[in-house]
Amino acid sequence: MEPLEVTFYLKTPIALGFPWLYLDAILINLKIMDELGERYLTPPPKVESTLVDIPDSEIPIKKWKDVYVSSVSIFEPSDVGLQVFEYFKKGEYPFPEGKIRRGSGFFKDFYLRVGYLPVRSIKFYCTCEKDEVERLLKKAPAIGKERNIGFGFVKKVEVKEIEHEWGLIKDGLAMRPIPVAYLKKYEDAVHLAYKPPYWRKEHVALCAVPFTRVEL
Amino acid sequence: MSVNIEDEWLKKWKEYFLAWYDEGKVDEKVREAMEFATPYLDQGLVSVSGGKDSMAMLHMLASLKPDLKVFHWDHGRWLVPRGVEEEVLRNIKTVAPEAELIIRRYSLGESEVSREVWAPWYREFFGTLRSLGFKYHLLGIRADESHRRSVRGRIAKRDEWVEVYPIYNFSWRDVWAYIFKYGVPVPSVYFRYAKLVGWDKVRFVTFFDREFEKYGAPQLDSVLSWRWKHNP
Repeated sequence: MEPLEVTFYLKTPIALGFPWLYLDAILINLKIMDELGERYLTPPPKVESTLVDIPDSEIPIKKWKDVYVSSVSIFEPSDVGLQVFEYFKKGEYPFPEGKIRRGSGFFKDFYLRVGYLPVRSIKFYCTCEKDEVERLLKKAPAIGKERNIGFGFVKKVEVKEIEHEWGLIKDGLAMRPIPVAYLKKYEDAVHLAYKPPYWRKEHVALCAVPFTRVEL
Repeated sequence: MSVNIEDEWLKKWKEYFLAWYDEGKVDEKVREAMEFATPYLDQGLVSVSGGKDSMAMLHMLASLKPDLKVFHWDHGRWLVPRGVEEEVLRNIKTVAPEAELIIRRYSLGESEVSREVWAPWYREFFGTLRSLGFKYHLLGIRADESHRRSVRGRIAKRDEWVEVYPIYNFSWRDVWAYIFKYGVPVPSVYFRYAKLVGWDKVRFVTFFDREFEKYGAPQLDSVLSWRWKHNP
């Protein structure tokens, strides 16, 4: 495994469900899709066993303790402000004849507000197997939230080797959530998920906040 | 106001709302609202969430009757983070220092479940109002908030009390104009959200609450209030 800099060049703005994207989450999700093939699309997609099915040795990302050495997203240009896209999302099924409830239940309509950043590229640092990362990322036509309505389309991905390992810390700043229990010093801490799947409550711990000062 | 008023964006909008205060003849609406509310104050309870509408209403009513009775419902930490709740209570006490403040806390609000289910909230909230036993409840509801509210009328009779809406005829512009004119304190999260969704659409509602999913609120909370997502 070698230290890498992964850059996604985007065709469309990136929609966010949190202030950052996690490269380990993207890579592991792609790996699961790759392994499961069409079975991935069989609901429920959030079953725990899908992760267990892939042994640690097959995940192409270096681990430090139980934290993947892979950074959160660095948006470029960095001074682009968050924008909001509002739209009315209808269910994917056609409405049946007669009176139906659209405020709740199966045919519920959602008025969505999506926070997005009109950035040109997104950079990540990680320590990974370069070939495997390149192979997996070719399978990601889009990243981020609301890809089904056109956000986060990828123009190209560049993976290049770098000298330093910056997946955890760069210039004294945390590059991802790191549990404070693993740190000697930290500047700012918040309860955050620190390993995939990031939606799992069991993966939440008091962590140093990305881009704040820490000491391992 | 507990925000950085030097912020250029905020300064510009303050100027706009102050101009609207005169242009929109907001002082006439304020006078009318105060006259309308006066008969209900002695036997009434003023409900204050801490949001812009209820704070503007409280500011008007406290100038009429400083020792009024104010009710505040504390949603609990999973729905309203403690920092925000403390700010709300501070604001209420600043605006109505002599008021008798009645606070009740939602029992499920200490559990994350409160973000997922809201039927118990309604049961407990209305049960609490019933137990307080007031004849009139004064609320900061406005007609232009929704169609349902616009057809409700300014006085709504419930089974056990009567709801009175003093600022029913205010627009969102009028409310913000009043807030900027008199420096009424409102939670600082307003400004963070208003910058993105606009002054007309910004609401002070419970955080990460699935009840408001249909308005897209939790999606924005995850990006703007991410610090409170897992342990408020």
